[in-house]
Amino acid sequence: MPTEVADEQLAELFRGQPIDHDTAAVFRGRLDHQLLVHRCDDCGTWHQPPKPICPRCWSGAVTPTPVHGGGTIFMAIFLHQGPPAEGVDYTVPHPVVTVELDEQEGLRFTSTVVGARNADIRIGRRVELDWIERAGAPLPVFRLAAGAGR
Amino acid sequence: MIGSRNPMKDTVAIANAATTGFEARNTDRSPGSLALEACVDVLRDTGLTAADVDGICGTIPTADYVQAALGIPEVTWFANPMIPFVNHLAAAVSAVHSGLCDVVLAYHAAYRLAWNTASALKDPFRRALGTAGVPPAPEVINGSTGYTAWASRYLHEYGASREHLGYVAINDRSNALRNPAAAMREPMTMDDFLAARMIRWPLGLLDMDVPVDGADAFVITTAERARDLPHPPVLVNAVSLGMTDKNVEDQQPSLRHTGQQVVVEALRRRSDFWIDDADVYFPYDGFTIITLNWIENVGWCGPGEAGAFIKDNWDAAGNRILIGGRVPVNPHGGALSEGGTQGSGHLREAVHQLQGRAGERQVEGARTAIVTAGGFFFNAQGATFRVD
Repeated sequence: MPTEVADEQLAELFRGQPIDHDTAAVFRGRLDHQLLVHRCDDCGTWHQPPKPICPRCWSGAVTPTPVHGGGTIFMAIFLHQGPPAEGVDYTVPHPVVTVELDEQEGLRFTSTVVGARNADIRIGRRVELDWIERAGAPLPVFRLAAGAGR
Repeated sequence: MIGSRNPMKDTVAIANAATTGFEARNTDRSPGSLALEACVDVLRDTGLTAADVDGICGTIPTADYVQAALGIPEVTWFANPMIPFVNHLAAAVSAVHSGLCDVVLAYHAAYRLAWNTASALKDPFRRALGTAGVPPAPEVINGSTGYTAWASRYLHEYGASREHLGYVAINDRSNALRNPAAAMREPMTMDDFLAARMIRWPLGLLDMDVPVDGADAFVITTAERARDLPHPPVLVNAVSLGMTDKNVEDQQPSLRHTGQQVVVEALRRRSDFWIDDADVYFPYDGFTIITLNWIENVGWCGPGEAGAFIKDNWDAAGNRILIGGRVPVNPHGGALSEGGTQGSGHLREAVHQLQGRAGERQVEGARTAIVTAGGFFFNAQGATFRVD
């Protein structure tokens, strides 16, 4: 049973993030620690970021669908400075990774990596999904998977 | 489907260009004041009055502000396109070619905004122009983060190094030394570049364009009319604004399929000449990584080879790039050293080079120029220019 939360409260919880009629369900999913990505009911194509129709077949039947959250680091940078954010002080450069999700080639999600030394956060490493709280809202993040990467 | 139809070829010209010059500090001026100074200069230097202008094109400040401030009696066309500035060129050229207007005043004020530099944030008048509002999360991929992420990918895929990025910055700086309009005019060494403060690894302070105050302005009209004006008309040979469907920063398939490839393909089909016949080249350099990719994508060298290519085409005496010992790259100093003009500086210098008015930077006998502005995702663009 998904968490019930009014639009008003949802918008406040994720203030400053790209929340609208097409993406609200994705942010609702975060409250239940589900990483949702839009998937077409008709042709099965996933797409990012959320759009109201399927870019491949133009079907309006797109459903925010949980992804497993496993993937491979495609790009990795380290912020030595950046916007203020709870729990991020940049004294250790803050990692930001774009992860290619296992569900579909080229389907990517960008977040940070927790619980790893920066030296170990490299392009090609396998990651899995995890969750942290930031400013009272759940944030999907990645954790390095056990074992060697590519 | 990239077409080759180009009926506007050489029918529209940039009749003139002017600049205020750029400063990497908070001037005590508004963006409007800077833009108007450049606009007045370019119109006077072209021998035109307010009544000669019937089209206005710019982003900062808006067209209505400029019309009112300059007392331009009537316009039949105006536009406020998004940066970078080849958008403005494309809009103005289309408007003139199609007959929506005859004489466009196009301009751009570069301005140190409160969300961009800490010192600009201290200026109450700059804060009043707007801040970023709720700060984005650090993981948001738009803008700077997206370019940095693809820089990490480039270094990973091609085994390129920070030094390769450094060549771009040093080339710009060496060129800026000969440009009185440039904001940054202290020589830069590779050690300086490598020692610069890291901002977002793998890009540091000197990989990023320099926030400046200043403005450029242009007169764009029919080639026919431009031939009766005082300065040599710079003919617009071809223009392209390129974009692919995967135009969100982290969803772009690879560096080999971006707006840049679309621009290059379109220009090659529509332009009368390409790099072998270019006398001066202007790749965008808002971030060093963009320039390496433009150099590869226009065809000077293959993917991942830009670092080696630059090394091979380095003019040791000038401490700068001179392709084939002949073609300079961003001779005005580019966004990294003249100032972050969102492409208007590149375009202005192309005009002045082809008019033979580039001072001690002048490329002897320059007759053709290629500008490739913007980055990868939704703002890659380019144009080719020649003179009669």
